[in-house]
Amino acid sequence: MLRFIAGRLLRAALTIVMVVTFAFVVLRLSGDPALLILSVDAPPEAVAAFREAWGLDRPLWVQYFSYFGAILQGDLGQSMRDGRDAIDLVAERIPATLALTLPALALKVGIGIPAGVYAALHRNSATDRVVMVMAVAGFAVPSFVLGLLLVLVFAVQLGWLPSGGQDSWRHAILPVITLGIGGAAVLARFTRSAMLEVLGQPYIRTASAKGVSWRAVVRGHALPNAAIPTVTIVGFMVGSLIAGAVVVESVFSWPGVGRLLVVAVSNRDLAVVQCVLLLVAATMVTSNFIVDLLYGVLDPRLRTARGGGKG
Amino acid sequence: MDMRLTRRMALTAAATTLPRFAIAQADQRPAITVAVQKLANSNVLEPLREQSNVGTRVSGSFSESLIDIDWIGDLALRPSLAESWRRIDHSTVEFTLRQGARFHDGRPVTAEDVVFSFGPERMWGSGDQSRNMFGAAPGRSQGKAPPPEVPAIARRAYPGFEKFEIVDPRTVRWVNKTPDVTLEGRLARSIGVIMSQAAFDAAPSWLDWARKPVGTGPYRVTEFRPDQSLTLVAFDDHWGGRPPLRQIRFVEVPEVASRINMLLSGEADFACDIPPDQITTVQRSARHEVVGGAVMNHRISVFDKNQPALRSPLLRRAMSHAVDRQSIVDALWDRRTQVPKGLQFEFYGTMFLRDWEVPKYDLAEARRLVRESGYRGEPIPYRLLNNYYTAQVPTAQILVEGWRQVGINVAIEMRENFPQVLSNQGQRGIWDWSNSATFNDPVSSLPNNHGPQGQQWQVGAWRNDEFGRLSEVLDSSVDHDERRRAFQRMMVIAEREDPAYIVLHQTTNLTAKRKDIAWKPAQSFFMDFTAANWGRRG
Repeated sequence: MLRFIAGRLLRAALTIVMVVTFAFVVLRLSGDPALLILSVDAPPEAVAAFREAWGLDRPLWVQYFSYFGAILQGDLGQSMRDGRDAIDLVAERIPATLALTLPALALKVGIGIPAGVYAALHRNSATDRVVMVMAVAGFAVPSFVLGLLLVLVFAVQLGWLPSGGQDSWRHAILPVITLGIGGAAVLARFTRSAMLEVLGQPYIRTASAKGVSWRAVVRGHALPNAAIPTVTIVGFMVGSLIAGAVVVESVFSWPGVGRLLVVAVSNRDLAVVQCVLLLVAATMVTSNFIVDLLYGVLDPRLRTARGGGKG
Repeated sequence: MDMRLTRRMALTAAATTLPRFAIAQADQRPAITVAVQKLANSNVLEPLREQSNVGTRVSGSFSESLIDIDWIGDLALRPSLAESWRRIDHSTVEFTLRQGARFHDGRPVTAEDVVFSFGPERMWGSGDQSRNMFGAAPGRSQGKAPPPEVPAIARRAYPGFEKFEIVDPRTVRWVNKTPDVTLEGRLARSIGVIMSQAAFDAAPSWLDWARKPVGTGPYRVTEFRPDQSLTLVAFDDHWGGRPPLRQIRFVEVPEVASRINMLLSGEADFACDIPPDQITTVQRSARHEVVGGAVMNHRISVFDKNQPALRSPLLRRAMSHAVDRQSIVDALWDRRTQVPKGLQFEFYGTMFLRDWEVPKYDLAEARRLVRESGYRGEPIPYRLLNNYYTAQVPTAQILVEGWRQVGINVAIEMRENFPQVLSNQGQRGIWDWSNSATFNDPVSSLPNNHGPQGQQWQVGAWRNDEFGRLSEVLDSSVDHDERRRAFQRMMVIAEREDPAYIVLHQTTNLTAKRKDIAWKPAQSFFMDFTAANWGRRG
């Protein structure tokens, strides 16, 4: 098990190094932060002063190694927009993002999984078709279209809810619904497929033939076995808690990590972008790691296989 | 401690609370919300750092210069924190400070504050700027020195500045190293605002101060949340009288559809940065309208004359004749703007060339020039941004179609940002730009953007030695006629003989708003919420 964990940690570290390197190269080669932050109308001497101050006039490889060295020492750098520590800027936006993504995750799981299970258990019924049509629609409509549609109906026409901003809990309702619907649709589709596959397995028939109640078969045999692909998808959703609301935050003017990332990328504010990416990579890697561990819990065969691997 | 509420405590509490409550009740002035695309590019409110149109929108509400420009009226210079001024000589202007003008911290505006505002602490830096992204960051919270680009911006704005002299407590003198007839105009720029020295001294860092500067404007900054909102409240001790609004809240809403939705749902009273194709959407609502007009900014397309086909000035002239500017104004701008008289502005006064015209739309003349130029149809790259300027892409499509009609093969190449547009990698042919006049003299625009210190020259896209010499004349001469001749010749060079750019149209700034509010947009990006520009209709 230790070897398994160590291997996963090494892969995670390599992933993060690759993310940092890729982002550095792409951001530094695709735009000069000095012109983007000071504006194209800034005097050339001001642009030159900015470049020199931030070390942007140095060779790219010097910038890269200096930056990487600083990261290894725990210094994630400062925003070139206002000189504040990137980690502080990102940290102060995380609560706002989690205020959307956590309730949205609950909505996805709370609606998507029961809907998928119900549809699978009533395969080819009218309910199944209705659930699947709604799931396809929820999955197909882009979040920015859905968001604007919800605003038009509930804010502009009915005046029930605010259209954007972050002044109260009411401001979170529409963005949470927008975020939640798409994810619930994905989960419903996956859960239904996984359940259908499991329900067709011989051990389900065997259990039923032995006289186990259908409810017990579903709870004891179908659901745990169907959970593996569902847990994988939920794992991805957990991994995207930090930066999974980029579009929705923009549509609803929600001041979270997603909007910070958009602004930082458009300004080529390297330290801030890197800080967000590191955080996202770390969340995703941790989430995947937990999912891997959960596989072992859900499926004893995987545990055995890993145990055998030790030799 | 005994925490029981006694009658005396209750009476005392009531006595201290009631007057405040009464004042709050008495303040019937409205509080408004303004939805904007962007609050500030640099996350600070100090105009010297925030050199942007979006910064201009708000800075005039909380800060003021000695001299102001009447952006709502005739664009004339008018007294602001200086009650009056007079020329001592070509290098010196004397200002009499306004009696009774106060900062938001309650302190009176003094001559020392003027000196501070143009001094090294705020404007010129202390020279110890040897920090970089791998060490201490410029403008980082513990430092008091301004970021290094601030002194560079100041040097460009006031190239001949020597000092501000205190003559007496109410009189100060601007002393320039060189003669300059445009000093008054330069001082009217937003970067020349007067800030409280005491507030700067009290601020823990430059960043803290720059996010909550203490000026003298009719509204004071109470809260600035970068990328989110800016809240201004009425400064009732303003020398111009009580402002008409209790509070103005600017909210950053990046998506145009979301800004319009905020307006239509009643959450916002104004929605800024409205593209012309959204006018109908807004005006479908009986309670809303779109207002706006031309501002002191012209949209232009710029040449790189090192591009092989564009080396010929004849081809560049042909391209200018093939632009149907009026169609752009009519079709894309709902006729809310105009084709200007070249890269100049009427508020130049006697320096304005009233008889000047942009090259007329003449396809026959354009075809003749194409033939004479020897152009053989080589593709000319047009680096284009995705609507960085309002309606930029459809404008470019009209341009390319016009050029195609006269046999010029221009190929649009989409770029993501300005550094990619200006990059000297690959061939650079044409790109879009806009030029402002920051004060009432041609020196604020033409030489500044296209002369030796200007961007087009500095990136190696266009230079003309005679134009460069004339820029010097415009900058340093004090002879009005000589300056006017120089300006006229520069226009001939840049727009006729050796075209540096094509003027397309004057920029229009459109704002959607509630119809029942009587408010006029300024001829700049500034939003004026003073008593002179606020009222109720019906």
